[in-house]
Amino acid sequence: MSDQSKQENKSVQEKLTDLSELVGWFQGASFKLETALDKFKAAEVLAEEIEKDLTKLKNDIKIVKKRFDSEE
Amino acid sequence: MDDVLLSVSDFVALTNQTLEYAYPLVQVEGEVAEFRVAQGKWVSFKLKDEGAIVNCFTALAQMRTPLENGMRVIVVAAPRLNNKGYFNLNLRAVKPVGEGSIKKGFELLKAKLEKEGLFAEERKRSLPRVPKRVAVVTSTESAAYADFIKIINERWGGLEVEVAHTQVQGVPAPDQMIRAIRYFNSLDSLPEVLIIIRGGGSAEDLSTFNDEPLVRAIAESRIPTLVGVGHEVDHTLADMVSDVRAATPTDAAQILVPDRQEIIRGARAQANSVGYLLTQAIDNYSRQTKDNLGVAFARIQQKLDDTFERLGILRVAVAQLNPENVLRRGYALLRGEQTVGAILEIETAVHIIKAEVKDVRSK
Repeated sequence: MSDQSKQENKSVQEKLTDLSELVGWFQGASFKLETALDKFKAAEVLAEEIEKDLTKLKNDIKIVKKRFDSEE
Repeated sequence: MDDVLLSVSDFVALTNQTLEYAYPLVQVEGEVAEFRVAQGKWVSFKLKDEGAIVNCFTALAQMRTPLENGMRVIVVAAPRLNNKGYFNLNLRAVKPVGEGSIKKGFELLKAKLEKEGLFAEERKRSLPRVPKRVAVVTSTESAAYADFIKIINERWGGLEVEVAHTQVQGVPAPDQMIRAIRYFNSLDSLPEVLIIIRGGGSAEDLSTFNDEPLVRAIAESRIPTLVGVGHEVDHTLADMVSDVRAATPTDAAQILVPDRQEIIRGARAQANSVGYLLTQAIDNYSRQTKDNLGVAFARIQQKLDDTFERLGILRVAVAQLNPENVLRRGYALLRGEQTVGAILEIETAVHIIKAEVKDVRSK
């Protein structure tokens, strides 16, 4: 599975975690200017994907068929 | 019937048959008096008004609200004549009525459940921040349910919601809700949150949520519970025993799921903050590089200055050692063997002289 499809399969929650980790990387000791631009681009892509995912997601509401007005 | 001779037992049985046919169940309102619990199992009291009094009887396990003398109640009961000749109302349900009695029933049950620790903070479980699958117990015909669904649809997506339709007021409501709670708790894969909601109503309507078995079913739920009943000011034992209390059904929806617009704004802000951090880092690096270059240039300059200074000193020293300078001061340079008869060459600042050695002595 490619990196891109792996990314697409992630849930919104996972993407939010990834984004927070990226912010953490910029503030942490492992920060390197050489890779910072790629990380910045990744953060922008993640923010866009989160917005897209959240906008298109719909809730699935099901009414339980079982009746509760008497003991079965 | 006046020509039929009956035994006492037959008379009692016939009376009960007639009562069962004519009044299978009656609802009677009155005041509780002489309330008693016998052998920890049987409850008896008298229901009275200004003009009459009637005996009431039931099993303790069937009592859904604690009673006290003086409380006003409606009983749902089957009238019966027992074998000892006493007329009883065999109770199916007892419900306090009137603000004072409802409040009294609420306080009695609250004290009882509090003593058992059912409202203790340490029992409260937290809800997942973003649940994926939840269960709702409510009346799907209610405005409260419509509001709840509207709010969660506005706020979030991708949520799986299973809804059990039950009555949320009236005598059958507590048992229906208990069955729904047990149904969700019996599923192989449990929902992450169990939500119980109902809109506002009279104290009597909301008293459904002060029903002891319902409150216990909520307390026993394996699924963390979120209860939003009535308005902000309404407090029921169901919401007190729940893991999380919502002030209203709308509030329950807001507690249940985050607002997607807020999250989108947050994600954008995080991406922007990364951009800002990157710019800041580049600025820092370029400032640092400039500073380092400055330090390096200053060091080189210093080194050069030192070298030139040393060179100057050496040039002076060299100049001082130059024989020409010595000759200019009046000294002469002598070349040749210092033996009598030898020819010497004498160099001064301006002349080169040849001279013969006439005498050589030691000093």
